[in-house]
Amino acid sequence: MAQADTASLPQALPPWHRLVRTARREPAMAGGVLVLALLCLVAAVPGLFAGQSPYAIDVANALQPPSAAHLFGTDDTGRDIFARVIHGTRMTLAICASALLIAAVIGGIGGTVSGFFGGWIDQGLGRLIDVVLSFPPIILGVIVTGVLGPETSNLILALSVIYLPVFFRIARSGAVGEVGKTYVEAARCLGLPEATILRRHVLRNVLPLVLMQYIVQFPLVLQIQAALGFLGLGVQPPTPDWGAILQQGKDAILLAPWISLFPGLAVLITAFALMLTGRALQRSVDRR
Amino acid sequence: MGRYLARRFAASIITAVLASIVVFLIVRAVPGDVVAQMLGQTSDPASTQSLRAFFGLDQPVWTQYGRWIGAALQGDFGISWTGGRPVSMMVVDAFLVTLEIALLTLVLATVVGVPLGLLSGIYEGTWPDTLIQTFNLLGLAAPVFWTGLMLLVLVSSALGWSPPLVYAAPGESLADNLAILFLPILALGLLQAAAYSQFVRQNVVSALHQDYVRTAIAKGVPARIVFFKHILRNIAIPLVTFMGLMLTQILGGVVIVESLFAIPGLGRLLLTAIQTRDYPVLQGALLVVVIAAMLVNLGVDLLYRVIDPRVRLA
Repeated sequence: MAQADTASLPQALPPWHRLVRTARREPAMAGGVLVLALLCLVAAVPGLFAGQSPYAIDVANALQPPSAAHLFGTDDTGRDIFARVIHGTRMTLAICASALLIAAVIGGIGGTVSGFFGGWIDQGLGRLIDVVLSFPPIILGVIVTGVLGPETSNLILALSVIYLPVFFRIARSGAVGEVGKTYVEAARCLGLPEATILRRHVLRNVLPLVLMQYIVQFPLVLQIQAALGFLGLGVQPPTPDWGAILQQGKDAILLAPWISLFPGLAVLITAFALMLTGRALQRSVDRR
Repeated sequence: MGRYLARRFAASIITAVLASIVVFLIVRAVPGDVVAQMLGQTSDPASTQSLRAFFGLDQPVWTQYGRWIGAALQGDFGISWTGGRPVSMMVVDAFLVTLEIALLTLVLATVVGVPLGLLSGIYEGTWPDTLIQTFNLLGLAAPVFWTGLMLLVLVSSALGWSPPLVYAAPGESLADNLAILFLPILALGLLQAAAYSQFVRQNVVSALHQDYVRTAIAKGVPARIVFFKHILRNIAIPLVTFMGLMLTQILGGVVIVESLFAIPGLGRLLLTAIQTRDYPVLQGALLVVVIAAMLVNLGVDLLYRVIDPRVRLA
């Protein structure tokens, strides 16, 4: 029990001290969280990082390779790629975050209800989810955005449809596990209505599972978002967005590879940081 | 076995039928059909009406669906509204191209991913493990089309080589065919190898911590025998399952690399059909994708039961 004794010690230490200790124990997670914090800052106040406008056209300086004046080079109309990547952060992350939120709320509630009540509700919803799952994710995204038209709202819809089944299944299996537990039985004996048990007890216990999936799935959504943007089905120009910049760079790939290099790196780094954080969180949950 | 198979198969068919209805409805729920696209803004109502009748678009949706699914069950997916070719021929041609890419990618991912995963699992916590895990995470984080683009830039600037622009079937010229498929397969295969390697590692690590392995080591069984007889045999099943999962993943990823490298596979067929609102082609291609993914899952499920005698059909 020596470990338990030392574990209770940090309570007395100042909070920053505990932070340093955690960071030292999980350096990968600390790195990931740091990158994510920086990304949030970039998304919140892009002007702080990029002095140039992401829209300013300067034909005289089109297709310039990276230099001191243009850190990431310029595109075919002379726009600064650095400014476009920095300003695109908000758009890209906001789309992914909101799509995942919609998927998590609808899928999470649907899955919990399905698992809690079982019976024909469970059967029907399960079949519906199977149908969505029978399409490979990217293909589903291509159909929805392609058919409804490339608009930001349709992109968000497509991404949330793709990820809804993931949350549904996680929440359902969580709810099925909770239903059998004694506290649910106790609540029933006390005469609590089913809806109250569902809302106050089961949903609350399923929530951590859903939150965990939110982080685990985020890098995957980011990649599909970028892929749809790359196919021209995402955010439309001239709005800066990582996938949209990639799409624009495709035709000049051998002439000006920097247009594609940097937004792709942005996706890679963000996904990498998210994965490091997610893995560390998963480990700490598994330990408990 | 027979009863399980029948039930599993029936469930798949119901899902496929529901999926085909969903596809049919999505495609038609949207403003701007093929007639509007053909005639543009300046069409007069009379010709719009007659063209809509020609394509059967003036019928109720359920009648249209009934006609389509009835013919499709007999292998007739109709005629492309934009090219005039039979859809079944177009879909089969495209499917063969995609299948070639998918299978070669699977081979590459297995050949690279499994040894890497075994290595990093056995040497858990040492520098080779860290190195391989970094590769795995980078591969999982990298977007596939971007990797393809960067490989293209790398190869063309380092070797001065770029793939042929016009697709050649393996029957026409195997060399040209492989030359054009080389980069997309490399990009897709490396990223899938990363995923596979990560999965193999997890399985090896958890097997290493099992009691039977500890017992085997403790009683002095040689390391090689522990590895082949105890570990490898027990993780074989999840590894096979993962191959099926990868194949469906690859089916999705192919859409993007096909459009990137101008390869006439299912993915490009789907994209073009969406852009031109060519409903018969879109429906046919989608149905084939859904059924292919479903058959892979079914196959894996059955294989699972053949390999592992412990899994008996519930």
